Amino acid sequence: MKRYDLIVVGAGPAGLSAAIEAARCGMKVAVFDENAKPGGQLFKQIHKFFGSKEHQAKIRGYKIGETLLAEADEAGVEVFLNATVAGIYLDKEVLVQIGEAMTHFKADTIIISTGAAENMVTFDGWTLPGVIGAGAAQTMMNLHGIKPGQRVLMLGSGNVGLVVSFQLMQAGCEVVALVDAAPRIGGYGVHAAKIARCGVPFYLSHTITKADGTDCVTGVTIAEFDEHFAPIPGTQKHFDVDTICLAVGLSPMSQLLKMAGCTMVDDPKRGGQVPLVSENGETSIPGLFAAGDVSGIEEASSAMIGGRMSGLAAAAYLGFLSESDKEKRLADLEVALNSLHQGMFAPGSKGKTVAKTDEGIAVSQSLLKKGYLEDTDLERFVHRSNQTDKNSGIHPVIECTQNIPCNPCQDACTKGCIKVGKTITALPQIDDASSCTGCGMCIAACSGQAIFLVDEDYAPGFASITLPYEFLPLPQKGEQGTALSRSGQPLGIAEIIDVRNAKAFDHTPLVTIKVPAGQAMTARFYQPTTQAMEQ
Amino acid sequence: MKRISDHPILGEPEKGQLVSFFMDGKPMEGFAGEPIAVALKAAGVMVHRYTHKAHEPRGIFCAIGRCTDCVMIVDGVPNIRTCITPLVSGMRVQTQDGVTALEVSE
Repeated sequence: MKRYDLIVVGAGPAGLSAAIEAARCGMKVAVFDENAKPGGQLFKQIHKFFGSKEHQAKIRGYKIGETLLAEADEAGVEVFLNATVAGIYLDKEVLVQIGEAMTHFKADTIIISTGAAENMVTFDGWTLPGVIGAGAAQTMMNLHGIKPGQRVLMLGSGNVGLVVSFQLMQAGCEVVALVDAAPRIGGYGVHAAKIARCGVPFYLSHTITKADGTDCVTGVTIAEFDEHFAPIPGTQKHFDVDTICLAVGLSPMSQLLKMAGCTMVDDPKRGGQVPLVSENGETSIPGLFAAGDVSGIEEASSAMIGGRMSGLAAAAYLGFLSESDKEKRLADLEVALNSLHQGMFAPGSKGKTVAKTDEGIAVSQSLLKKGYLEDTDLERFVHRSNQTDKNSGIHPVIECTQNIPCNPCQDACTKGCIKVGKTITALPQIDDASSCTGCGMCIAACSGQAIFLVDEDYAPGFASITLPYEFLPLPQKGEQGTALSRSGQPLGIAEIIDVRNAKAFDHTPLVTIKVPAGQAMTARFYQPTTQAMEQ
Repeated sequence: MKRISDHPILGEPEKGQLVSFFMDGKPMEGFAGEPIAVALKAAGVMVHRYTHKAHEPRGIFCAIGRCTDCVMIVDGVPNIRTCITPLVSGMRVQTQDGVTALEVSE
């Protein structure tokens, strides 16, 4: 029986982070993962992450995955793939299926970081081929380079539903609608706005009543429902689709912890059956830890911090790290974790209705219901940070109106134009005293794609708007297309006057359009003429 | 075309060698090493199996080897999770009917 100081189950962001910290303290670490490739879901995350520098904000998920793998390798972590942990027994013995063989391993500490599984909802026709999990869509398009379908309806407006909808469009699929049973969009407004300005409608307080098709999905019917969850007659809408994507939450895969005899609690805020854990992830069994989604559904950034905390705690438990060093390093990580746990999307705020931002500004109801800011919202948010007498020359317009943990825009501007401050959930402010050079780094750094550079006086009667454009084909300078509003409505002709795609933008090309001056604060997206004709 | 030829973030997908395999006896092509389910999807195959009792169609659902909806008979072995089993040149893949192969008229 092979022995290790630490066995980690699951090579996702939490497990790898834990293994790296522990191995760096001198522990002999084995990580088991049932998949053929390590990294968990990180390699499917092609969007830029939120947070601040210490959370690797504005770095795309798959790049973070590559860094973690390199660090694990350097630290001497042994990663076993296609290795399914089938059981945990007394005295930290685990049974692992590798190929056809069952093998016993023993450790002095164990960290369970098995992540979560997607939830499902049932409706008439839900078992038809073509009904898939949102994770399946991500796996197909981002790992295997294949479109999950041509026309897709997304159920679920949490961050997964929003992010995957955008990724579907990036992969060349059409998203016909985003549907959610909740009366409000669950994920970040900036994610919703990215989809809304492409013209995707949101149907809140709606759900799927039927998927059509005999051998596979050919269509879907949705309906609005009343407070008793009964469909309201006459509200049915039908869409011709070949794919229905379900993004209706995640549940911790905590079976191994239960099997090990850890005290479990049923906590809906953490996603279901989760172990009772200390702040470092230690369960009721000394030396057995849980990290990441398995101990409460969050996202990869906090999973990585949680993993590192458990790794350090495991090292200290066996004496590889002194108590004083442990306290010091855990305190730093706690600060990093706390900064992610602020604002209106904090784990403690789940399910609560937030009427005002931390700054006391009424939140946009349109953003929550339709996925975009109304013109009447702009006064409160956008113009507030843009009160300038000169009102001329290029300047950033930041449409970030919710307290989300993110601040790369602040570091991106070398001129000190943008201020978020110490609390990273604060809304960014624009310092009008600083001069914007139009470099566009803030646009590319904004993980929510909520920053635009506007020049009201680009030419007599015309304004220029620079926007992020992560789609193919990339527009060419000189071509003409359609300017779209925040809700994806065509506003008129837009001419491409500049396209920049610097390496520092990390695959977020900046496209500058010329529109009539009156559209300076309404045009927010560009649609090539070819796409308009196809529809 | 279901395959993504160029992606704004990921560029051109990295693929193995183009190989042929058999789906219910018919020759098809896919890339070696990609999941069997991906090669089938590219070829337009949606139904992977029919359920035992109700004879209902099933296809890809989770794509990460958890749900077992996409199982098929591969080289004579039933219940193979095609979403996580790499494609190999010459593989014989069959639609599963319950736990046996679906009878296909040639």
